[in-house]
Amino acid sequence: MIQMIINTLASAAIVAPAAVAFTLVFTLFRYANFAVGGFVTIGAFAAWTFNVPLGLPLWVSGIGAMIFCAFAFAASDRLVFRALRGRSGGTLLLVSIALSFVLENILRFIYGAQLKSFDLPLTGPIVISGIRITRETMAVVSVSLLAILAVGAILVFTPLGRALRAVADNPSLANVRGLPVPRVETFGIAIAGAMLGLSGTLVGVDLAIDPNLNWAVTIPIIAAAIVGGLGSPIGAAAGAILIGAAEELTVAFLSPTYKGAVGFAVIALVLILRPQGLLGDKVDRK
Amino acid sequence: MESYLVAILTVAGIYTILALALNLQFGLTGLINFGVVGFYGLGAYASGISTETFHMPFVGGLVVAMIVGSIGGALVALLSLRLSGDFLAIVTLGFAETIRLVFNNEDWLTRGPSGFSIMTRPVIDGLTRQGNAWFVLGVIALAATIIFALMWRLSRTPYGRVLRAIREDDLVPSTLGKNIFVYRLQAFVLGSAIMAGAGSLYAHYVQTITPENFTTPVAILVWMSVIVGGAGNMIGSVLGALAVVFIYEGTRFIGPWLTMLDAEQISALRFIIIGTALILMIRFRPEGLLPEASQRPAEAAPHISASEGSHR
Repeated sequence: MIQMIINTLASAAIVAPAAVAFTLVFTLFRYANFAVGGFVTIGAFAAWTFNVPLGLPLWVSGIGAMIFCAFAFAASDRLVFRALRGRSGGTLLLVSIALSFVLENILRFIYGAQLKSFDLPLTGPIVISGIRITRETMAVVSVSLLAILAVGAILVFTPLGRALRAVADNPSLANVRGLPVPRVETFGIAIAGAMLGLSGTLVGVDLAIDPNLNWAVTIPIIAAAIVGGLGSPIGAAAGAILIGAAEELTVAFLSPTYKGAVGFAVIALVLILRPQGLLGDKVDRK
Repeated sequence: MESYLVAILTVAGIYTILALALNLQFGLTGLINFGVVGFYGLGAYASGISTETFHMPFVGGLVVAMIVGSIGGALVALLSLRLSGDFLAIVTLGFAETIRLVFNNEDWLTRGPSGFSIMTRPVIDGLTRQGNAWFVLGVIALAATIIFALMWRLSRTPYGRVLRAIREDDLVPSTLGKNIFVYRLQAFVLGSAIMAGAGSLYAHYVQTITPENFTTPVAILVWMSVIVGGAGNMIGSVLGALAVVFIYEGTRFIGPWLTMLDAEQISALRFIIIGTALILMIRFRPEGLLPEASQRPAEAAPHISASEGSHR
């Protein structure tokens, strides 16, 4: 039982920062960006590149991956999505799926399909009264938690965070009030990109890194964000825990092979029962 | 070379049917179905299981596939049609992924990842190998022609106009007393049945189907066909599917010249090109190469600008 909770937290910790990123993009621009999984995979490969070929310690690699993803995500917005503002949600969704497909294949082109993993020292799990917990899991959970709290704090307490919330709430009003809307948006996108890079690094600690990670992570991320109500980072984190728990339960009681369907099943349930998500206010959709 | 050309044309015929079905759902009615491969795969497996496990003839398999496709389409639609556009897209995507997991994991039914082999073919006795290939191409071309004629006709009927009106703004037709939910349901179910029929044709053409045949790249190619051709334009979908398949298959031939790349990289490069082309198309020419003919009222009042028919 406690083992299941630990597993849930471990998988939630990987998904949560990316779900926060998805939520940020959704609140700013009101579309579902399916390319988030692609950027998480880019983050994983960036961290691997810093860590293994360049020999940097993992935490430096992780920060490198966050910076790289922040730039890459901002670039994708500039090159692809900016020109499409105001198009229907469905169009943007199609574009983001195509983008994620392109990103995945760029990674495949550069790195090939061989599985990669970080250069981590092998440490045995810590066993406390029969419960196994690895040092990596503890690190992943605490880093993820810190990052989400940091983003939450930025949004609530800093002037930039307030500006971001104002722009998300009503861009034209924010503009009239003299906020530099494009710059605030770029800032939000960069934060989201950094969160995606962090998720990528964390996923690389837990799983093998290969281009197929893309779809495997996209679904839980979006499911977590939708369950969390597409409104707040805390909601996204709560959603990640719920999805992680649902996946654990599926593995334990149904069949591990259907783990991939859990995210969609939960999305379908939430959309049908509560279109506004579990937490968070109802978002006006264009 | 001849057999290669026949193979490309056969695949193009199947993609044409898929593109026409998606054009009915998305182009005419505005329903975003990212689960194309789900219905396609459902039809392929339903047909294969009917002919191999239950020893039905090919036509029986095709009929079963279309029935199963309709039921699948109806379930997805009843579950999600009330949701707005992009949420429908997410649910259909989930349907396709889940269906593929079922194909992969229920070995007793689908023989899982190793593939389901199908002996039944839509051919007559006494033909050579080459003759068989041509005959299958003929069957698929005939099916594509029938579907095209049906869709082309349908898009010009009052029924098709209601679908268009729902796409543009569902408030107007519902004010006119049209039950938009029923129209959407019918369009979605018909499209799904046609996609499943295409799956059946594909299954009996390739004769070995694996879950890997029904993954996202296929859906991207079908979407690309509809968008390139012009959403809402049935002729556009046919030309779009032909163009996409010829470009996709044609890029196989660049391989030998790019000797510094391995097969994995060439395959990745093709997908990069196709995905990028799709993004550029949506960015710069969202109405497609053959835009939907604008539906002008019979007596166009000069001060009312006719809708250009491109989707919003």
